[in-house]
Amino acid sequence: MALEAAARPRAPATLLRRILHGNGIWPAVPALLYLFVFLALPMLTLLAFGFVTIDRGRVVGDTWTLDHLKAALSDELVWRLMWRSFWVAAVSSLLTLILAYPVAYLFAETKGIWRTLILVAVISPLLTSALVRAYAWLVILGGRRGILNQTLLSLGIVDQPLRILNTDWAVLIGMTQIHLPFMILPLLAVLAERDRRLEEASLNLGASQTGTFFRVVVPMSVPAIFAGLALVFAISYTNFIVPQLLGGGSYSTLAVQVYEQTIVVLDWTRGAVLATILLTTCFAFVMGIVAFGNRLARWNEATT
Amino acid sequence: MTHIALDAIVKNFGAVRVLDGCSVAVDKGTVMTLLGPSGCGKTTLLRTLAGFVEPDAGRVRVGDRDITDLPPNRRQVGYVFQSYALFPHLDVAANVAYGLRVRRVGRAETQERVRKALDLVSLSAFADRYPARLSGGQQQRVAIARAMVLEPEVLLLDEPFNALDAKLRLSMQIELRKLIERVGITSIFVTHDQQEAMTLSDRVAVMRAGRIEQVGTPIEIYDRPRTAYVAAFIGRANVLAVDVAAGRVVADPAIAAARPDGPAWLVARPENLTLEPGGEGAGWRGTVAFSTPQGATIEYEVATGAPEPLRVVTLRKVGEPPLPVGTPVRVRAVDPAACVVLEDGPDGA
Ligand SMILES: Nc1ncnc2c1ncn2[C@@H]1O[C@H](COP(=O)(O)OP(=O)(O)OP(=O)(O)O)[C@@H](O)[C@H]1O
Ligand SMILES: [Mg+2]
Repeated sequence: MALEAAARPRAPATLLRRILHGNGIWPAVPALLYLFVFLALPMLTLLAFGFVTIDRGRVVGDTWTLDHLKAALSDELVWRLMWRSFWVAAVSSLLTLILAYPVAYLFAETKGIWRTLILVAVISPLLTSALVRAYAWLVILGGRRGILNQTLLSLGIVDQPLRILNTDWAVLIGMTQIHLPFMILPLLAVLAERDRRLEEASLNLGASQTGTFFRVVVPMSVPAIFAGLALVFAISYTNFIVPQLLGGGSYSTLAVQVYEQTIVVLDWTRGAVLATILLTTCFAFVMGIVAFGNRLARWNEATT
Repeated sequence: MTHIALDAIVKNFGAVRVLDGCSVAVDKGTVMTLLGPSGCGKTTLLRTLAGFVEPDAGRVRVGDRDITDLPPNRRQVGYVFQSYALFPHLDVAANVAYGLRVRRVGRAETQERVRKALDLVSLSAFADRYPARLSGGQQQRVAIARAMVLEPEVLLLDEPFNALDAKLRLSMQIELRKLIERVGITSIFVTHDQQEAMTLSDRVAVMRAGRIEQVGTPIEIYDRPRTAYVAAFIGRANVLAVDVAAGRVVADPAIAAARPDGPAWLVARPENLTLEPGGEGAGWRGTVAFSTPQGATIEYEVATGAPEPLRVVTLRKVGEPPLPVGTPVRVRAVDPAACVVLEDGPDGA
């Protein structure tokens, strides 16, 4: 009774306090505002173009229409491009994982100056633009005069120059290298901070070093693995620079099409429709990856 | 027959010498307790035995094998970690089954052994929980089950019961003791709790700053501490400066001292001292500084002019009030033979 009486006059104060407290949202407000104005609004505008008819830069008619979307979805080419976007992104995400894991593990095992050196080596590519790195691969992989072929030819390993540029291989190689840091960084943090006593416990229970690695270290890093996979998949799936530069003029993916329709062909409607498809499917795939990761790491929910 | 032998182990962490020529021998099928203050190197010693710490000098033997250079996964030494070290990504049953899976024990047998092990620690109902959802004591029991399920010949337990309540602690101690006897496990076990050391162990090793100060049965250690440090560590003890003359303690000639004449230190348990008001004759004179009736006994602190007051525990008769503070009293040994006269004082000088 006394408690209730005391609580009642304080009710408005608690409401105010709850708003002020906001469950920790307030510090994020500037970033959210920024994202809304400079990301969400333009994006919505762009996507909206897909649901109206545009002629010579002007919106024609005054109703929304799904015709463009239907047309795109019944276009077999769109599905082929989407499939290519998907498998290129999937394979390159897996490749980055395979390449990134040992680096992150090595980082966790080293100390002092070596650690710093690895970190610098991982981060420094991010200091150059992705475009520059894609051009670098052009120089390395390019025709007969490319660095790779020249080396292989002069060493006598091959007697015909390898045709890598303008194939899926070139796109995979370029994408994997360019996106490697985004896989390494989440893994670094988790592997370096991990509890080594768990590995001792595993060894003590009779597991070999390799067994311990696959039974303890890898499962414990599943959340980081899937965070990396989701990140790298998303940026690979939507990357249009690498497929364009390394895949050659006739090589296209969904993202490349968005770029070409919007910037080159100036068919904004089709560009917007394809962008809508690109974004929704990307979102769906990423959700799928995250959901799968969460399933594998159900234990992780218990710890948080 | 000696089963585990740690021989003059030295280990430095940087400039700090954590183990300083530490030697321990444990007979087959017996329980040895390591007792010592925090930071004296108990965990480090166990880790050396388990193979996680490479000693700078000294040998580790189990049975007739020298395992000093053997990797931890080939030592077959069960270890219950001080921090449990349960696998967070495996549920309780899978944690316990881990060692069996690694050894490729059949599925049915694994299930059966896991079930028994969980029964033993009364955690059957928690088999499919993740460790993060267990209390500290439950996690500790999983850690014990995980080590015990492999029925190792050697079992190391680093403060395995410190998160358990008194009742569970006692039943786990008894269960563990039974299991150790049934399987014939040789074990070393670290504790801060001397009661636990008394209950569980055949022998107690008191550690101090990286060395073993004394090894013996719990009763030996209690009755015949070799140093004042050991005396103060096991149970409570009065350590007082005395003079010895002609093989007797001057202050209380009833106490014999196999020491040359001159200053010495006397160790007397509080329950081995008694006091009577006033009085002339042998003994230590002082005044009651503090008294607490404790049911069956009364605890007195008697100020004698020495830096530390004498602690005396006497039996209480029903209805008898304790002596008031300030009463002049004379303190004597109940059983002079139970007192220990040492050469070195409390600081080990
Ligand atoms: N890996 C390490 N690196 C550096 N110093 C260490 C390391 N492990 C232990 N030490 C030091 O060695 C000393 C003994 O540690 P240890 O863990 O063996 O103590 P302990 O007797 O088990 O103590 P507690 O009862 O608190 O568990 C401590 O001073 C500790 O700081
Ligand atoms: Mg310890």
